[in-house]
Amino acid sequence: MSLTPKNHHIGQSVRRKEDLRLITGKGRFSDDVNLPGQAYAAMLRSPHAHARIRSIDSRKALAIPGVIAVLTGTDLRADGIKHIPYNVFTLHPAEVQLENTDGTPPFVTPCYSMAIEKARYVGEVVAMVIAQTVDMAKDGAEQIEVDYEVLPAVTATRAAAEPDAPRLWDNAASNVCVDAEVGAKEATAAAFARAAHIARIETWIQRVTGVPMEPRAAVGEYDPATQRYTLHAGSGGSVRLKKDLALILDVAEEKVRVLMDDVGGNFGTRGMIYPEFALTPWAARRIGRPVKWTCERHEAFVSDFQGRDLAVTAELALDADGNFLAMRGSNIGNSGGHTGSFTPLQKGVEIMSSIYRMPCAHFRARSVVSNTVPTRPYRSSGRPEVMFVMERLIDIAARDFGFDRVALRHRNLLKSTELPYTNPFGMLYDSGDYHDAMDKSLTLGDWAGFAARKAEAKQRGKCRGIGMANYVDTATGAPRERAEVTVHPDGRVDVVLGTISNGQGHETSFAQLVTEWLGVPFDSVRLITGDTDIVQVGGGTHSGRSMRMGSVVIWNSAKEIIAKGTRIAARLLENDPSVIQFDNGRFKVQGATPSISLFEVAAAAQRLKDLPDDLRGPLAAFSDESFNEASFPYGCHVCEVEIDPALGTLEIVKYSAVDDVGRAVNPMIIHGQVHGGIAQGVGQALWEQCYYDPASGQPLTGSFIDYAMPRADNFPFFDAEFTEVPCTTHPLGMRPAGEGGTTPALGVVINAVVDALSEFGVKHIEMPATPERIWRAIHDSKNIV
Amino acid sequence: MSGTHKVSMTVNGKTVTGNVEGRTLLVQFLREHLQLTGTHVGCDTSQCGCCTVHLNGNGVKSCAVLALACEDANVVTIEGLANGDKLHPMQEAFREHHGLQCGYCTPGMIMSAVDMVNRNGFELDEKTVRKHLEGNICRCTGYHNIVLAVQAGAAAMKNS
Repeated sequence: MSLTPKNHHIGQSVRRKEDLRLITGKGRFSDDVNLPGQAYAAMLRSPHAHARIRSIDSRKALAIPGVIAVLTGTDLRADGIKHIPYNVFTLHPAEVQLENTDGTPPFVTPCYSMAIEKARYVGEVVAMVIAQTVDMAKDGAEQIEVDYEVLPAVTATRAAAEPDAPRLWDNAASNVCVDAEVGAKEATAAAFARAAHIARIETWIQRVTGVPMEPRAAVGEYDPATQRYTLHAGSGGSVRLKKDLALILDVAEEKVRVLMDDVGGNFGTRGMIYPEFALTPWAARRIGRPVKWTCERHEAFVSDFQGRDLAVTAELALDADGNFLAMRGSNIGNSGGHTGSFTPLQKGVEIMSSIYRMPCAHFRARSVVSNTVPTRPYRSSGRPEVMFVMERLIDIAARDFGFDRVALRHRNLLKSTELPYTNPFGMLYDSGDYHDAMDKSLTLGDWAGFAARKAEAKQRGKCRGIGMANYVDTATGAPRERAEVTVHPDGRVDVVLGTISNGQGHETSFAQLVTEWLGVPFDSVRLITGDTDIVQVGGGTHSGRSMRMGSVVIWNSAKEIIAKGTRIAARLLENDPSVIQFDNGRFKVQGATPSISLFEVAAAAQRLKDLPDDLRGPLAAFSDESFNEASFPYGCHVCEVEIDPALGTLEIVKYSAVDDVGRAVNPMIIHGQVHGGIAQGVGQALWEQCYYDPASGQPLTGSFIDYAMPRADNFPFFDAEFTEVPCTTHPLGMRPAGEGGTTPALGVVINAVVDALSEFGVKHIEMPATPERIWRAIHDSKNIV
Repeated sequence: MSGTHKVSMTVNGKTVTGNVEGRTLLVQFLREHLQLTGTHVGCDTSQCGCCTVHLNGNGVKSCAVLALACEDANVVTIEGLANGDKLHPMQEAFREHHGLQCGYCTPGMIMSAVDMVNRNGFELDEKTVRKHLEGNICRCTGYHNIVLAVQAGAAAMKNS
């Protein structure tokens, strides 16, 4: 790699601290945790998409040697275990709030960690078996007799919204939980009335799943002496998990401890608490032993939260010159069997117009429950869906009304002089140079040379297509974050931070910040996360918040440590603090040679008895802040594909990405995240889908044999570059980089595929654009010779 | 299913013995009996490759091998790849080229990559690497840096 670091400071591609343990097999993931005397849990899951549970007979299971207990929803309720406290909306002040148009509150389903009376999706936990070994627990689960009354099921998003659809919740009038409107209805209608052109799309951004490679696992403990629960489980954040767990177990927060070390991927779907994370500590209390549960992959496909699943009907109005006048439409999100999060719906609909000049817009936003695995925010929650819609609409408009795709975007793309800009839904875009990113991306993707490449491919009987997509990505998330930085006299710096790494290299990037600001050796910095007895405050990793917020609270702490250190150094150097300067980890009197290190100052703070109270003791500082402004990463991707029209097979021949990150801390890590993000977006565009049988509601993708995971031979090397236009809502100018790879990828790939198929008259193709779908699109088209 | 049988094999240069059930998989023996938790389980259909180890010099998915079938076999896991404190060139290449993010698929990737070099030699073109990694799934990296790491690791193995 050419990104050779010069030092360990900000902006350098420093090699990662965490890698040594991970490449030698010494990482510690959730399933690597084993406690003395632990028993094992197996979950009995509903085989029906929708069924009333008439009775559960555990007697045969309890007769299996080694089976210790069988627990059901009835036991859960009898023990006073509370429902899962879902925070269904993002309440971030920068975000547009969704309120039902009829003034009623949204319908939020009461979700318990096990099915109560009814199971609402295949995979919902119906009973838990605890045994001496995993195999004994599984054998026990097979012997539980459940008497089900199977009910009609609905899985498809639009179908679930129909008034006569099978209803999941008896106490709700329909499956529609949210029915809100955003934007200006009348102004939008007026704009459409005077439009010269209207582009339309009706599409479904299909259901996919996150698939972190580490299956979930949990070990629950209970100490009767202290009446304290401990949960060992990887998650997107320890503090929120602790708070939620305390609410479910109905105990004070200090009676719960959450621990995690390495976490094998997240992508959003590991961000919120899972039923099994409450069931294992509860079971541990019931049986008086630690209880371990490890998810198997087939189980993950019916119990890991899934993502996307948005049905959209949208229209774009243009004047005769191609200026965008307005857009309108309807979005329906699918929450699955329980209403866990309306956030993807909310975060999508508020930026439907992307970074284009859009005088007005109006959308209806609904969320439905259905007999499918519950959904949660999945990498770039809600935004890839709507960027797909907008970028498809632009290409459709260009093709239908005779505009050049690039020129049409250039015409309507916001100029940097127009920022800050309030979009028609009320979102305030802070800063950026959208045209620069687009132009750079077109250059990187050699848009100008495409015609020649297409002609060459044609000679070989292949169809080439090229597509582009601009994007914006709203970064908000849990607003509060805290850092505690302590300088130890023995040459170490500890940083306690409220977020946690799920593979993003936090130990490295945050150490670079400390090295930059405190001038201490990179190796001296230790990041402490993942133990709620140490980490008290923090929101976890989601919505591009870790570096965005972590950097500020570390920066504040570093400044305070330097301020304190300056006063101590003044005492040691027998001079006034006003003439002390701090440079590269050392304090000295301006113009003089003698200097003392930060660590010597830390030692003095603990040694000197006559320092003022605020300086005596450990040299430490903390910062606890709430971030109420959003950040808007943006960029432009270009994709080129080649299709074999005889087979419908597709090759991605070139993928170019330009993403703005404001200010890069570690380019190597940023590029890595962009690559991974692109692969996840391309995966959705071309291969991935959680298929459900519409009649029975049975999931048909239950393993890596059925669910099409992107593989190494599906991709070329990516051409990824970033720009650094300082973000004006961040004190250090940083913009998140973790989700930008995914956000435009759906749209850019499908735009390229449709471009390749345009010679057959194909105007649109739904995702995933599998070879079968491409082949059918070619053969269904009228222009086939 | 009840009843255990004695099995002995060489793992990372040491002779080990254990009592396992007939259904115990090699990966379970490694992880649960020997506490060699560097070998990971990412699926239950032998698709993901997280559990790849070397069995008598060949890369295998240790979830697809019964422990009892490994009597007298020579097994090398990710924990046995380095030479003491000196990393194997393929491990070094994964770190240098940022071939990992969450690190969960990494042990299997590295073991598979070394196997790839053993089968195909030190000069690996991009296509060969991508084809050979078909049985190892990564969700974090988009494979870009893994492919670079494998190529660099292969070249470094030649010189080591």
